[in-house]
Amino acid sequence: MDIFEQIADEVQKGNSDSVQVLTRKALSQDISAEEILNSGLVAGMNIVSERFKNNEIFIPEVLISARSMYSGLGIIKPLLAESDVRSKGKVVIGTVKGDLHDIGKNIVAMLLQGAGFDVIDLGANVPKEKFLEFIKKEHADILGMSALLTTTMIYMKDIIEMLKSAGLRKNVKVIIGGAPVTESYAAQIDADGYAPDAASAVDLTKRLLGET
Amino acid sequence: MDTGNIPVLTVNEDTIPRAYEKAIGEVWEKGASIRTEYDHPGDPPSRDATVIIIVRNPFGQPRFHRSFADGLGGLAEYVMEVIHGAHDYWVKPLEEILKGTKSKDTRWTYTYHGRLFEYRIEDMVVNQIGAMIDKLSKTGYTRRAQAITWNPKLDPPTEDPPCLQRVWGRLCDDGEGGYIYNMNTHWRSRDLFKAWFENVIALTTLMRKIAEEISKRTKKKVKLGRYVDISDSLHIYGSYFREIEGDRNKGIKSFFETLESRSFEERTWNSDFIKPHFINDGVGKGLRPMLEREKDMPEKVRKAIAEELRLMEEEDYVV
Repeated sequence: MDIFEQIADEVQKGNSDSVQVLTRKALSQDISAEEILNSGLVAGMNIVSERFKNNEIFIPEVLISARSMYSGLGIIKPLLAESDVRSKGKVVIGTVKGDLHDIGKNIVAMLLQGAGFDVIDLGANVPKEKFLEFIKKEHADILGMSALLTTTMIYMKDIIEMLKSAGLRKNVKVIIGGAPVTESYAAQIDADGYAPDAASAVDLTKRLLGET
Repeated sequence: MDTGNIPVLTVNEDTIPRAYEKAIGEVWEKGASIRTEYDHPGDPPSRDATVIIIVRNPFGQPRFHRSFADGLGGLAEYVMEVIHGAHDYWVKPLEEILKGTKSKDTRWTYTYHGRLFEYRIEDMVVNQIGAMIDKLSKTGYTRRAQAITWNPKLDPPTEDPPCLQRVWGRLCDDGEGGYIYNMNTHWRSRDLFKAWFENVIALTTLMRKIAEEISKRTKKKVKLGRYVDISDSLHIYGSYFREIEGDRNKGIKSFFETLESRSFEERTWNSDFIKPHFINDGVGKGLRPMLEREKDMPEKVRKAIAEELRLMEEEDYVV
């Protein structure tokens, strides 16, 4: 097993300490941060994501793997910034204003990051102005919005309308999800896509950015 | 099933994960097909039954199943919400609650902690759990130690009335000069697949808190007895059937195939493994991140959670 496979394996097992040790070892062998990211950490999370999609592992296990990926990412992040590595795309994500539920959104954010996307997670209860600010500032490719309540999902439409008014709608693809959200609601409010679960949100993002 | 009659099922297991798996199997196999207010258009009807679940040893190990709809840090925060009122400050004001479904305020209408520890009736605020502890400490065999959640004025008009209805407890002599604390919880309606497990972790933690407080007051050892969980409607929503059934053509395993493909140890965790994740799960949740993140939490609640954190970090404390 080479060092990339070892990192990927420890990410799957959720062993943060081992991921850190192996990441440092890889750096000491003059392996680039980008290679460690893509062939080790992201490769490991891709397997986790696939296994999750296939119902082979459970949500808490995905989060434990994400923790181990972050532990390796923390070590190489400064080096990635120095080498100006391009991500697969930039995603601004958040749960809309009035809604404090963030479990689904957090899992989507972690799987997207694990798939190599640059994710800016604005958290829960996010007002439309904040979405707009970060979409502009970060030149986001994707806006991901989540809502768990029928009373808060209607706010997604306001945000899309705001993007149109600001002349930004064509610059960013909008994906939505959450328990009360449906495919037809996505079409109704002019979102670009709807994902019924976290793994599908990753596939949808890849598809919208022309990766698959 | 007997058409028109909701099945009544009983599950009796030693630990929480065993009871959880058994209950899912039983409701899936024997539950009635009934619609709910939360179904999406096109969803199949839920699988539903009245279920009595007995957990003989609520802190028996392994205590944690790996299948639930949150991370471990999120579960720790939920436990703090139920036993210490971490999110009582997310509840909207009374005048908004009274507007029912017409309210535009999307904050919560209740928390379990709020109803159990600070139940509002007329001009009084009643600590029902405190009253249970008082009653049981004075008269252990009492049958009157209970706490309710339902508010007949506030709950019927809302979209999301409480699922938990009542907590009831009673002490029995253990034959060695101490007590055994038995607790029952009664639920109106319950999402078995994505809520039951987390509910039970929180409620059994509350069970232990009550037993500890009675022990302090009576200066007697109070052991935990069986936990009994009674749901009028314990259901698996139609929207979850994809996860339960899987899809052979797409290589997606059914929930039951996933269980079968792993040993019981590989689908559960014991409390020792969980504890560091409860403190900080490394992905933004857990007691430490919660205290850092939730600046508006009242000082009294913050202190109670900080004490839980200290117990987890410094003491031989089983989560």
